[in-house]
Amino acid sequence: MIALRLRSLQLQLTLRLGLLFLAATALAVGALLYQTYRTAESLSEENLIERAQILARFVFERPDGDYDLDLPAEIAAFYAAPAESSLFAIRDRHGEVIAASSPAFAAHVKARPSSEDEPRFFRLESFGPESSDYYGLDLAVESVAGPLSVSVAQSGETDALLHAMLREFVFDVAWIIPVFVAATLLVAVLTIRAGLKPLRQASEQAAKVAPGATSVRLSVGGLPSEIIPLVEAVNHAFDRLEQGFTIQRRFTADAAHELRTPLTIITGALDALEGNGELSKLRDDVARMNRLVEQLLRVARLDSIALDVSTDIDLAAVASEAVEYLAPLAISQERSIALNGADRRVSIKGNRHAVEDALRNLIENAIAHTPPNTEILVEVMEDGKVSVADHGTGVRAEDREHLFDRFWRARGAPGAGAGLGLAIVKETMKAHGGRVVVDDAPGGGARFTLRFQG
Amino acid sequence: MRVLIVEDEQRIIDILTAALRKAEFTVDAVNTSADGSVALAAIPYDAVVLDLGLPDGDGLEVIAKARQGASAVPILVLTARDAVEDRVRGLDCGADDYLVKPFATAELVARVKALLRRPGGALGVVLKAGNVTLDTVGRSATVSEQHVLLTRRELTVLEHLMRRLGRVVPRAVLEEKLYGLDEEVDSNAIPVHVHHLRRKLMDSGAAVEIHTVRGIGYMLAEPKS
Repeated sequence: MIALRLRSLQLQLTLRLGLLFLAATALAVGALLYQTYRTAESLSEENLIERAQILARFVFERPDGDYDLDLPAEIAAFYAAPAESSLFAIRDRHGEVIAASSPAFAAHVKARPSSEDEPRFFRLESFGPESSDYYGLDLAVESVAGPLSVSVAQSGETDALLHAMLREFVFDVAWIIPVFVAATLLVAVLTIRAGLKPLRQASEQAAKVAPGATSVRLSVGGLPSEIIPLVEAVNHAFDRLEQGFTIQRRFTADAAHELRTPLTIITGALDALEGNGELSKLRDDVARMNRLVEQLLRVARLDSIALDVSTDIDLAAVASEAVEYLAPLAISQERSIALNGADRRVSIKGNRHAVEDALRNLIENAIAHTPPNTEILVEVMEDGKVSVADHGTGVRAEDREHLFDRFWRARGAPGAGAGLGLAIVKETMKAHGGRVVVDDAPGGGARFTLRFQG
Repeated sequence: MRVLIVEDEQRIIDILTAALRKAEFTVDAVNTSADGSVALAAIPYDAVVLDLGLPDGDGLEVIAKARQGASAVPILVLTARDAVEDRVRGLDCGADDYLVKPFATAELVARVKALLRRPGGALGVVLKAGNVTLDTVGRSATVSEQHVLLTRRELTVLEHLMRRLGRVVPRAVLEEKLYGLDEEVDSNAIPVHVHHLRRKLMDSGAAVEIHTVRGIGYMLAEPKS
């Protein structure tokens, strides 16, 4: 099931595009973050250098060689905050600490080598009263009090800045990415859908191809050019199949002709002979062979050509014709035949000749199975049914299942049937979307009913 | 009575010729549709037996040519191809009846006779069935050459049964023939006529029987030989 669903072009494209966009988004966000960190770092670097230089500006050398730090009030307050988020320490050219924001930082800085020309960065982990992380730098500054080494540090400010920048980025820019991804996926899916729509139409056309409708071809119009070769190949395959069917049909017609002509000659020649009992047996054999050939050809036709069952026909008229046609046979065999319910039209969709053939088969069977001087009753019902009832021995329950199989004959069945008649009836009814059923006739005997779709 | 057979299979010609001659027809036979058309144009045949599968083309052309020449000769078509279209095509082209091979020769002879019994056919004047005759012009019937007194309607019923000897005549057809369009037909009218006709034929010793096919109509049958 999953494998099947994965074969859907839409799903495949959605999945793959989705993955691609995910990767692209990750890459873009990664690059942005990297850039942001870089920017943030250089920003805080400049900030620290500036702080160091400001601090150096307020250092003065006393005549006694000592140094004074005379910070304006707001700067002093900045460094005096109890959280000690900003630290500083200033050393003179000998490495002695002149001033510091806290004694701990002074002690820490004292241990560090004095700064050179280039600013030197450092990190402080778990430092100060709140055990925060600091980053800072040592900077050599030329001040009015001579060369100084100023160390400044700031706790966690990088993160705060970064978070602010990232928040801005997410609100201003990043929301576009999922929207863009969704829009692209939607466009992809809609494109595929639109592109495949003609294919669905082609499928509907293909569904109409049947043995009786072999001339249907799939239209190429509107199909994506990638699919046209497939459709054309399918159409060519249909051409070859249609040819095959034509040959099959012609074969059936030819076989009919080739078999019937010699049979006509034999039948005629036997009719013309004057003769004894052997001759009449021979005539029966030929009659049997005639019937067999007839039925084989009908089966072949039913197999090779789908019936056109779309015509509106009158079941009552068809039944009348079948009874009219077979009444002379029944009467010559001292059986009578009657038709009920044919005085009003019973409309069904079907193939007139096939239905009449099927009905004739049933009536011929009834004539063969009903005893002399009994009546065969053909009954047309208004709901699209027609039944044929005789007064014979009926059909045993265990035989009913096989009755309609090709070449099946009841054990010890009299007569010369080949066992094709009822198979033809069944095939015919199948082609009509109907059924043939057998049950017991009221008053004994078999009753076959053809049920058509109303 | 002169019958033309157009058939390419010589064995079938032999058999049909023998059977039709036995039934006292004069028979000519040709093998191609061209010869068939020529023969039809030259001789006023009473009936034609025409095979549809001829070597030089479709037998239907023979019918078309004959009908173009305004010939009303009854044509019985033989076909080995019983595809529905073939039958319909044959009848549409102006054939009068068709037989699908293989057929019994007795059936063919009966069909030819039936064609000749049609109004306008060569046997149209005096119809025969068993020991019964009916003069369609003189409007009289005999059984074993004894005159039988029948009403006009009984005579009409008998005529149509005799024209379609051995085949079922639907009751609707009889009603149509017996009554005008504007006449009210009692549903019992035809059964009553048939009942009387049957009684009269039986009383005069007719060797034919009128069978009832309930729900369809009636059929006149000759006794089995």
